[in-house]
Amino acid sequence: MNELDQAGLARLRDGWISGGAAFELAPAEWKEVAAAASPDEQERRLLAIAAQALDVALRPAAPKTLKQRPPLPVLAWPVLPERLRPSLRAALKYAADARLKTRVATLVASRGFVLHPMDWMPTASSQESPEVYAPWVDWQAGADSGKQSRREHLTAESWDDFYPAARRGALIGLRRSAPALARTLIETKGASESAEVRLALIELMRIGLGADDVPFLKSLSADRSGKVREMAGRLLARLGEHGNPASGGSEDPVAELAAFIEEGKSGFIRRRTTYSPIKPKSQAQQARRADLFATCYFGDLVARFGKTEPDFIGAWQFGVDDGADLFLVRMVSVSGGDAAVASLADLLVAAGGRLAHLALQLMLRLDSGRKRDLIRQILNDAQNLAALNMVEGAEAGWLEWGDLAKGKTLLALRSAFSGDNDVIKRNAEQHLETLGFLANPVAAEKLIGEVVAAGLPPASPSLGLLRLNAALTENPTK
Amino acid sequence: MQLDLKTIEALAPDQASLGAAAKLTKRSNWPRLEAHEQLPLIWGECQGSGSNPYRVAFDTSDHGYKCTCPSRKFPCKHILALAWIGATAADSFVRVDQTPDWVNDWLGRRRKPGQSPTPAAANSEGKSIDEASRPAESAPVEDAGAAERREAAQRKRAEDTRSAVSAALDELDQWIADQLRLGLAGFVDASSERCRRIAARLVDLKATALAGRIDELPAKLMALRSEERPDAAIRELGKLVLLAKAWRAAPDDAELKRLVSTSETRDQILANPDALQVESDWEVLGEKIETRRDGLVSHATWLLDLKSTAPRFAVLLDFFPASAGRRSGAFAPGDRFKAKLVFYPSRNPLRALVAERLGDASPGNWPDFAADAAGDPLAAYAAFQDDAPWLSDCPVILPAGAIALDEKDSAWWQAASDPHGIALPVAGSVNQTLLGLDLAATAALWNGARLELLASQSSMGRLDLS
Repeated sequence: MNELDQAGLARLRDGWISGGAAFELAPAEWKEVAAAASPDEQERRLLAIAAQALDVALRPAAPKTLKQRPPLPVLAWPVLPERLRPSLRAALKYAADARLKTRVATLVASRGFVLHPMDWMPTASSQESPEVYAPWVDWQAGADSGKQSRREHLTAESWDDFYPAARRGALIGLRRSAPALARTLIETKGASESAEVRLALIELMRIGLGADDVPFLKSLSADRSGKVREMAGRLLARLGEHGNPASGGSEDPVAELAAFIEEGKSGFIRRRTTYSPIKPKSQAQQARRADLFATCYFGDLVARFGKTEPDFIGAWQFGVDDGADLFLVRMVSVSGGDAAVASLADLLVAAGGRLAHLALQLMLRLDSGRKRDLIRQILNDAQNLAALNMVEGAEAGWLEWGDLAKGKTLLALRSAFSGDNDVIKRNAEQHLETLGFLANPVAAEKLIGEVVAAGLPPASPSLGLLRLNAALTENPTK
Repeated sequence: MQLDLKTIEALAPDQASLGAAAKLTKRSNWPRLEAHEQLPLIWGECQGSGSNPYRVAFDTSDHGYKCTCPSRKFPCKHILALAWIGATAADSFVRVDQTPDWVNDWLGRRRKPGQSPTPAAANSEGKSIDEASRPAESAPVEDAGAAERREAAQRKRAEDTRSAVSAALDELDQWIADQLRLGLAGFVDASSERCRRIAARLVDLKATALAGRIDELPAKLMALRSEERPDAAIRELGKLVLLAKAWRAAPDDAELKRLVSTSETRDQILANPDALQVESDWEVLGEKIETRRDGLVSHATWLLDLKSTAPRFAVLLDFFPASAGRRSGAFAPGDRFKAKLVFYPSRNPLRALVAERLGDASPGNWPDFAADAAGDPLAAYAAFQDDAPWLSDCPVILPAGAIALDEKDSAWWQAASDPHGIALPVAGSVNQTLLGLDLAATAALWNGARLELLASQSSMGRLDLS
């Protein structure tokens, strides 16, 4: 269409928008076509020509600047095979929230695959997604993947080439393989970061935490961020460094907390020391006690009683006050040393039942073996399987059929699906999702057979993750 | 299978359903009949009056059922026919050990009897399967005079319809001229009311299809930015002018009749020797499901011919009442199948029926259409408009490109070979992940103003974008 036609079309358009006859505004050639008709017909003929001109001769004007995102980085692992994507989508559809969807991605990652980006993407702030997704997390946050592809190892020089999620992944790896090197990087490069980033960096010091880290952590007591100081204090406490030295003064919180604990003796022949919580006398006292458990460090508390951390745990009278038990376990989780965490976990798991569930509070501090023991114990008791759904830091795809078959969980599931109580069935279906995450492929396959035989429809969406798990038998990264 | 004819008789909602089911028990109506080896399940695909086959599943143990047809009778004739075949010709079913996804989907969502409100007790009163099985009494032989009278009446009806439609188009012409006189700014603002009024008038004058199109015009305008609406109104009203003129020039043209008044029936299309038939491998590109103002849902399933060297598309179009609730289609995006399609006669044959399903087609990439797509990606649209300028949506295969955002975060498809050249605005919002993926080829619908993405081929495989 030439410029005259375009100008004529623009005039026609303006004429029709405001209304009235527009024939005289049309380009000369168009008028020839439309002439020799009634005025209404002339307008209609011009309208038909204009419609065609707009449709074919004119194209939408592209904006001068269109923002293109950098290419989505290619991840290190292969994408889940196409044949498994329907099962994956079924599992993702059944997963009710972002956390459960991330769990599906974690299971798939445990078998060496990543998800198709149109099926699932980690969010820009995701810290729970498997490390292999770090490039996508950074891409979501607006990073340029080309920049990242230029770096290989995280060093002080390449620090700025890494986007946050990739840097976090690299630091985690470095803390595991060369903790001193990672600490030096955090120390030298972290100082110039914002308080939020500093806090996230210091939090990574928990990995491979050791006595060598003490000087640096102590230096953080002068950090301008209260949260960073608090995090450093907790890490120091885990190393046995008393974060809050008892002043003995009237406002000593450790002394105040100790006053809520009664030292006693038990046993007729071999008298041994016991520690029992004293029941608070008022709501205010109860709240204060909770506050003190949350803010004091475990090392300071046991030092008050002149005990080692494991000894204090061994002497604690569990079952006297459920609230105090929970506060103590959380306190150990936050500021207890590794030995205290291990002995507390062993004690609680051995006790089983309700106490084993308390050990879930320690999950993020437990080694792989203890995590598995704890989960096995909970499955063995089958008293509160829903607790497993809330577990953080559990590993995917390791639970064996024997672990399930010998406990009460399988019986409970069979009973739920063969019965006619809808509420129990729905709860059991949620447990299947959790077991779909924990089980190895053989256990997943067998469990599907068991629950279907018990009455669960074979096409139940709650079997989605188990089916995906059972189908994921190969691991290309191994 | 624990099925007997008494059960089917008891399940049937009325005698008419049994009669209709009896006619559907012919094996030729069922391109697919399968039974599970272990589970008490049978299912099949029944070619009904829609362009897609209906998917029918039946639980032989508790008589639960599912059919994708829009019937308001429960169970519908397709269920009854499936059960009937199950009871009388179990050998017709292929025994398999896996249920297809759509059966799984139903099984996963259904409630077993006992958990749901008890249905009214089934009974056989007033229904007879024997009566339904009896061949219909042959129609009395028509004498020559009666046949002549009938044909004359048919001619009269056709003539009346043509006169009515002609009057409808006269009214439409006048209405369009009125809109231009009153100004398109006001038309855009009041399009809903004005279009509804002329649409009602067109329905009265038997221009039903045209009425439906005009009824949808306000929604099309509102989907655009306010500054684009006058141009869109010019385009659409201009197309209506062209369509009216074309119909007046050839009122017996099948395509124009379909666009103005009513469509042919499935049987008429299948019986039409001039209808284009294409036997090929097809991929389901995507679906477009829209609820229309007349209370119908239009369900368009777009297909790509995988054996054609130039892009060839087909669309399976079904309508059903919105009140019938959500319906699952017979195909899912990405499905591939071999089939013979019969196209509705048209200048650009697109709308089609599945005449025969011939099994599944193997997965893979699309044919390399790069040669056709090189140059102007909208060349196919221009050719399409040359043949039928009254139509809007045209399927296209776009060459390698990417999705980019403008400053208002609206998405545009941009050619990879010419990043500063042509860019086409994309309808609606896009999945943000798409912004980071290279699109080797993209199937989309272009309507002159917006691109509706259907599917893409990329380094990450096939992307479902519909």
